[in-house]
Amino acid sequence: MKAWVDADKCQGHTLCAMAAGEFFTLSDEDGHATARSHDVPSELEAKVRLAAGGCPEQAIVIEA
Amino acid sequence: MTDTVPNRAEVHFDRHTPEYRVQFEAITTELQQKCPVAWTETYGGHWVISDHQSVFELARDPHLLSSDHDPHNERKGYLGISIPAISPTQGGILEMDPPDQKDYRSLMNPYLSPAAVARWAPMVEDITRACLDETIESGSIDFVDDLANIVPAIMTMALMGLPLADWVIYCEPAHAAIYTAPDSPDVPRVMEAYFAMAIKLQEELENARQRPRPGLVHALVNAKIAGETPTDEFLGGMLGLLIGGGFDTTTSLTAKSLDWLSNNPGERARLAADLPGLINSATEEFLRFFTPAPGDGRTVTTDCVYAGQQLKEGDRLWLSWAMANRDPEVFPDPNTIHLDRTNNRHSAFGLGVHRCIGSNVARSIYKTMLTQVLDRMPDFVCDSESAVHYDTVGVINGMKHLTATFTPGKRLGDNLADTIAKWQHKCDTEGLAEPIARSEG
Repeated sequence: MKAWVDADKCQGHTLCAMAAGEFFTLSDEDGHATARSHDVPSELEAKVRLAAGGCPEQAIVIEA
Repeated sequence: MTDTVPNRAEVHFDRHTPEYRVQFEAITTELQQKCPVAWTETYGGHWVISDHQSVFELARDPHLLSSDHDPHNERKGYLGISIPAISPTQGGILEMDPPDQKDYRSLMNPYLSPAAVARWAPMVEDITRACLDETIESGSIDFVDDLANIVPAIMTMALMGLPLADWVIYCEPAHAAIYTAPDSPDVPRVMEAYFAMAIKLQEELENARQRPRPGLVHALVNAKIAGETPTDEFLGGMLGLLIGGGFDTTTSLTAKSLDWLSNNPGERARLAADLPGLINSATEEFLRFFTPAPGDGRTVTTDCVYAGQQLKEGDRLWLSWAMANRDPEVFPDPNTIHLDRTNNRHSAFGLGVHRCIGSNVARSIYKTMLTQVLDRMPDFVCDSESAVHYDTVGVINGMKHLTATFTPGKRLGDNLADTIAKWQHKCDTEGLAEPIARSEG
């Protein structure tokens, strides 16, 4: 599974880092999120899916 | 009129009435089922958007909808985000469109990002501790007056770089300006107090120029946006926005959720027993359910058809975050609080480029207050009968008073005045309100 944050949609709500802080990192400056890697470690897949489902801007893209 | 659109969905909708507060769930359900994009004749006529999908799409399209408030008619004369528009001045960047709005956000983000806010945690914890100390021995508290009005206000002062003890000057005007309905006989008195606050803020602008100290006020008076320095009128509106956003919203969330926890002791026990596991999802669920800032107005910039309705350039439009947050298409069992709700993509902080810039501050303060109340007053019982809710929820879904009783406990530290003085000294000598340093990469 691959996942990334669409930077044009992310507005820095920070909920993805609460749901899956191991995978999403927040900018110190504005709190906008980026994925730490393209590939989602298998043990984090469930958390990353929850993060994607909870993103208010629907900015997290998942590819199976 | 030959260009009148046939079959325009029309409803009577007036969110400034007490009935809207009391019948919120029934009105929301009716609007979402019958006409989630509807025209209402109130306040000069405006669209009201109540379903999540439409609110989501429209809020994230700053080209179709403008937030601009242009009281001097220098652009298109749009009326900003309040319906009805009552302020004679632009309300800071919440009533501004990109690209200038984005430049101001970039200027202020390093004071308000998660990393920037984390630096303030010790002060927020200490001020919260001191507030609870002031009442802990008595066994009774007003959660609004004695706690939730104070901590967010002092934190807002700190972030702005204003004297912490001055929170009392702004507190009453800031709250009254929000809970007073536009047709209330109190409006002249409230506006007078608000203008007195505005004059005080103009003095602070001058102070920030003559005796620079770190904080948002300093950043704003020295801003250069599109090559220009902002006017004092704009800065006054911007500081008013920071105070309004910082003071009343977290206060409301705290009061509403503590009242609910008191009335749902089983859920409170569940939360207290697993605070680390539940505090994040519970906070988001309270935000969704109570939505302290229930919506924002916009102005349509271009004729277009949306959801089968003909929108016209210049039409006013109300995006209801509060009603979108009860949409069963996105939130199963929407009118029930589920402390462990997942996929909670609520819009309590707004959506799109105007998403609340203080959301990290709000969450940090709220979680600190909730944690300490559950820890130090675990058996609190709110007197919900005597609680005073805002009569109307047109601007903020809040409370004026919420008294509670609990088993008395012991003080843990200095009183509130001494605690404020201690942190003022730290602000002055340690530069706590400096922006966070630019991160690598």
